[in-house]
Amino acid sequence: MASLSATSLSFKAPSTRSTRISQVLRKASTFQSISFGRFQSSKSLRLQISCAAKPETVQKVSDIVKEQLALSADTALTSESKFSALGADSLDTVEIVMALEEKFNISVEEADAQNITTIQEAADLIEDLVQKKPAA
Amino acid sequence: MVAKCQVISLCRSLLRAGCKYPDYNIREYTKRRTLDGFRMNKNLTDPSKVNDAYAEGKEQLEVVERVLKVYLAYPPKTKNIMELKV
Repeated sequence: MASLSATSLSFKAPSTRSTRISQVLRKASTFQSISFGRFQSSKSLRLQISCAAKPETVQKVSDIVKEQLALSADTALTSESKFSALGADSLDTVEIVMALEEKFNISVEEADAQNITTIQEAADLIEDLVQKKPAA
Repeated sequence: MVAKCQVISLCRSLLRAGCKYPDYNIREYTKRRTLDGFRMNKNLTDPSKVNDAYAEGKEQLEVVERVLKVYLAYPPKTKNIMELKV
């Protein structure tokens, strides 16, 4: 939602110059009038969205973690559970990151890989990379 | 004495280089062997042994990268049966 408001706002600049676009923008302006109310809070909205990852991503990450660490299917994995708490040492963490790279077809940097400690962080990083990838 | 982060980074480099092979067998072998090798030496405390193991790992990394170039020149024409999703 926040990204919608950002793009619709960026349209506003050219509208004042050309009249051809203004018609299209009249339709888009309805979007703008809705999103204007959110503009003031869009910063905080954006922060929230950048921190949250989709639940299905978190689920996939937990599945991979369970498989790598050979945990039973019943173990409750919250998004905040740390890998070390689940009995993974640093080598297991490297293996988990490699499995995630393979599954999501992404490439994690060295520095980022060192910082992953919880499932939520892994899911967020994956979301970031998946979003950046098609743009590149 | 080699630092822990260096060891981890060596492990990552080996795994990532191994993933690039077009041949299924070599890819799986490299992954299995690096993990086994690092796990076997996981509990070493003697600094000279740690350095020896690290040097050996570095040599193997060079070997993997060199052989990778050769294999990339002649990729297999058909997929290995293990790679086909059932």
